[in-house]
Amino acid sequence: MDYFFIIDFVQSLVDGLLFGTTYALIGIGFTLIFGVMRKLNLAYGAAALAGTYIGVAAFLAFDAPPPVVFLLSALGSGIIGIVVYYCCFRFTPTQVPMASLLASVGMLLFIDEAVVHASHGMPVPYPSVFRNAIIEIGDIWVRGDLLFVFGICVVAMGVLFWLLYRTPLGLATRAVSQQPRAAALCGIDPTRVNLLTFGISGVLGGIAGAMTAAAVGVLSPIIALGLTVKGLIAVVIGGLGSIPGAIIGGLLVGASENIFLLLRGVTERDIYVMLMLFLFLTLRPGGLFGSTAGRD
Amino acid sequence: MKLKALLKAGVLGVSTLAMASVAAAQDKTIRIVGFGAASGVVGIFGQNSSAAMSAAFEKINAEGGVELADGSKAMIETEYYDDRCNAEEGISVLRRIASTDALVAIGPTCSNVAEPLFGILQAKVDDEGDTGLQFPVFTDVAIKGGLAGISEWVFRNTPSESQMYDDLFAWLRTNHPDLKTIYGGVEEDFAHSRFTWYSVMKTAAEKHGFEVVGEAQWLLSDTNFSNQARGMRRAEPDVVAISAHPFTTCGMLREMTRQRIQPKILVGLTSSSSLETLSGCANEAEGLTIPTSFAPVNEEAKAAAEAVVAKGGQMDLHSASAWENAMILKDIIEAAEIGGTPETLEEDRRKIRDALAELENAPGLLGSNKRLPDGEAVKPYVFVHAKDGSWDVLHNPGS
Repeated sequence: MDYFFIIDFVQSLVDGLLFGTTYALIGIGFTLIFGVMRKLNLAYGAAALAGTYIGVAAFLAFDAPPPVVFLLSALGSGIIGIVVYYCCFRFTPTQVPMASLLASVGMLLFIDEAVVHASHGMPVPYPSVFRNAIIEIGDIWVRGDLLFVFGICVVAMGVLFWLLYRTPLGLATRAVSQQPRAAALCGIDPTRVNLLTFGISGVLGGIAGAMTAAAVGVLSPIIALGLTVKGLIAVVIGGLGSIPGAIIGGLLVGASENIFLLLRGVTERDIYVMLMLFLFLTLRPGGLFGSTAGRD
Repeated sequence: MKLKALLKAGVLGVSTLAMASVAAAQDKTIRIVGFGAASGVVGIFGQNSSAAMSAAFEKINAEGGVELADGSKAMIETEYYDDRCNAEEGISVLRRIASTDALVAIGPTCSNVAEPLFGILQAKVDDEGDTGLQFPVFTDVAIKGGLAGISEWVFRNTPSESQMYDDLFAWLRTNHPDLKTIYGGVEEDFAHSRFTWYSVMKTAAEKHGFEVVGEAQWLLSDTNFSNQARGMRRAEPDVVAISAHPFTTCGMLREMTRQRIQPKILVGLTSSSSLETLSGCANEAEGLTIPTSFAPVNEEAKAAAEAVVAKGGQMDLHSASAWENAMILKDIIEAAEIGGTPETLEEDRRKIRDALAELENAPGLLGSNKRLPDGEAVKPYVFVHAKDGSWDVLHNPGS
């Protein structure tokens, strides 16, 4: 094993872990919604992308500074998340579980098409911070912008944990997630909690979308599929419904795809990531941290 | 008095009849349709082609339309069909077009659609054992080399990348004799970019004495290029050639800047000589050198570019071909004496095919396009480079 291989391996691991935080954020969004409603929102990645485009529109129209662009991306995605809730989940019959799933697939395609139509599919520049900053630790280079992405994602996760475990809103969310009927009997309005969950998840998705675009420096509708697929793999590996699981799953997916890229090349990289997904679904369907506790 | 009235009525009748036949001629239309990716992530190709075709046909119609075999004039009617860069949809679209009164189709935009789609056309004309579709297709955008050979009903007005890159690397060798090594970057999952690196750029570079010191691969939707750029940084190449579409070209260029990779020359894919690259990463693309069969270097090209912009599109090497195809087809329709009636539709399609096959030279925006016996074209081209946020002509091999 030569020196360069070890350096490449460590470098791939570092880059993958840093970039994996965006997958973790998307995974948290999926898992939050699933945890509260026991439903998958497949339009989530597309909503994150659309929110990111709202931010970039401000950048292109008013030359808005990066913090404003990131904030607008997050808020835009949060609003779209609420729209998705009303269109695909609020009024779909609860006795037909497939209805909301298929509605969210329809919404995914709709949002994707709308974004492609509005942007003509053209890549647009997305503002980055610390774009060319590098921290050199020997032969290992840590990208400043990825470190920023990592930092923002960690802060977003911290805020989410504070919201969930230190505020009445979080208490209500956890109550609806564990025992929706009992929570309703205690006076918690599940519709309001669901709505807020979609809003918060949307904001997280917007941050993930913004950070992905900031890391590349370019925004294109192409990223929606990647966000959706990698986010879903992260939650399956971490355990659907588990926030720590989504974080670990996201980091694992980020790191492993970079390592597989190094070891097996780009054409085989996704084969191994998908194989990981298959192995988890077969051998450990609950994922790493999947809850086995039922609910009413 | 009676005679006078009779004469008046006669004159009136004859002139009414004459006016009616003029009106009938004016009402005649010829349908030439376009198809390609007009939506989806590569929809910009189809949108630009559609705009170029509309602008070209509008110009032709404004100048009186096309002359048919009977001497009457017909207006050209056009429509653009979306295949979303999907092979199945492309085949279905072409079958649908062939079932209408369309005389000929211009398209498709994606090479991965073109290849299987050309396979449903009759391979050899007059081969009674071949029940393939007998419909002329005049391709504007799908650029992967050698596809016209699949069927004798296919003609392409796409530039010859092998000649362009061969010439580019020869020119680089002459003007930069100090350059020795080249590193290739390729978008692996796109037919055109893959073919162009492995079969065109790499071959041309080696032929002109450049040593290939490494290759990096990535996919169309990739967002992280640090692994690939690291290999490139270590190889310290004199030339970096990127065979990818604008989104990943920009991603890779940014990563190269970040990793302080500074090749002396950057070479790009023909399709990247577009507004997309500049709108995505003008700073990082500075100096990117690309051979292209379109640049607004003369009055005709400038006027055509303006007409396409007025239609909401952009003129680049691909949409320029759509414009040229429209103009070539006008000449072909007139030279081949097209009947333009429902009864002569099959015969007219065949006449269009035969006339395209016989064509040896065709007018183009940068000069005369040479038509080859296999249905391909050799078009004039220039080398452009990204400079201050726009594409600037670096060298004109034809001058």
